[in-house]
Amino acid sequence: MKLQKVIIFSIAILFSISCSNGTLDFREATAKDILSAVEEYKGEKAVLVNYWATWCVPCIEEFPMIVELSKQFSDETKVFFVSADFLEHKDKAKEYLKRQGVQGISFIKNEKDNDFINGIHKNWSGALPFTIVYDKNTGSVVDLWEAKKPKSRFLAAINKALNEGVKL
Amino acid sequence: MKKINLLILPLLFVSSFATELEIGSKIPLANVKMEDISGKDISLNDVMGDNGLLVVFSCNTCPFVDAWEDRYIKVSNEYQEKGVGMVAINSNEGTRNSGDNLKDMKNRAKKAKYDFFYTLDKGSKLASAFGATKTPHIFLFNKKGELVYRGAIDDNSKANRVETNYLMDAIDAMIAGKKVGMTSTKAIGCTIKFTSN
Repeated sequence: MKLQKVIIFSIAILFSISCSNGTLDFREATAKDILSAVEEYKGEKAVLVNYWATWCVPCIEEFPMIVELSKQFSDETKVFFVSADFLEHKDKAKEYLKRQGVQGISFIKNEKDNDFINGIHKNWSGALPFTIVYDKNTGSVVDLWEAKKPKSRFLAAINKALNEGVKL
Repeated sequence: MKKINLLILPLLFVSSFATELEIGSKIPLANVKMEDISGKDISLNDVMGDNGLLVVFSCNTCPFVDAWEDRYIKVSNEYQEKGVGMVAINSNEGTRNSGDNLKDMKNRAKKAKYDFFYTLDKGSKLASAFGATKTPHIFLFNKKGELVYRGAIDDNSKANRVETNYLMDAIDAMIAGKKVGMTSTKAIGCTIKFTSN
């Protein structure tokens, strides 16, 4: 049953990737689902995943800059946004993504915090915002950080992910 | 690919992660005095009870504190009388002018009926020493002053949906002199606003 779910999820991701990213596709997801989505881009694009929430002020402050980067580097870098809002605020999160012009697949956490956080990365404490960047060729983590950071930090991490930098 | 400014290349990839206090560690900065909402200056050693010490990194400006605050009161009511001293610490130096100063803290405590200490961590010194990164972030010490549990209060923001009471289970075990089962857990929270953020 679990395998079936993984297969269906993977097919859905592949379908979405092949289709136009013109509309927002907002999905509930576990850590495993998100890592599967990242894995799909291995060998094709660097991947940056930003964990945020509508109630998180520093998340909202840096959000437009990340959207801008996602458009600027869309040829070689895929950006996923993952909302950590409570599920009852899913519509609010979706509306925010739309207002920011986010297109394609985005996620909202649907798993217990402890399992979700540890499933994403052992070094993440659970603090928001959290950003993690995966290497284009190997799919391994090249950089990750908690708290709001300047654009230069994002650019440096993307550059590293595109150039096979040192792995963490 | 579009060119990324080469000037950024020499940037070092410094890890943005504080090291969380290891289980078994002694209370850091235990004698450092902090201003409490009562107007008194208190240290963690002052708060330590006969059976242990509960430290909650908290603040006034985080929805996750709002969500779990009912559990603060519950834990306080149940365990302070069993000899576990409790203190909430506000380390948000970056938002002292937007909701996290001492006056705001007093108002918060009065409104939510805190019956435990609520102190201001000047310069976020204690948060740094503990490796606390978010609110709420829990650290529980036994009567010898050794860390026996760190992390989340429980596994659900809604009290009536909780399946595992991480913190209360840990306190019960600690008071009974038993080994704590889960010594480290995680939950989503707001970043502590250090001035460098």
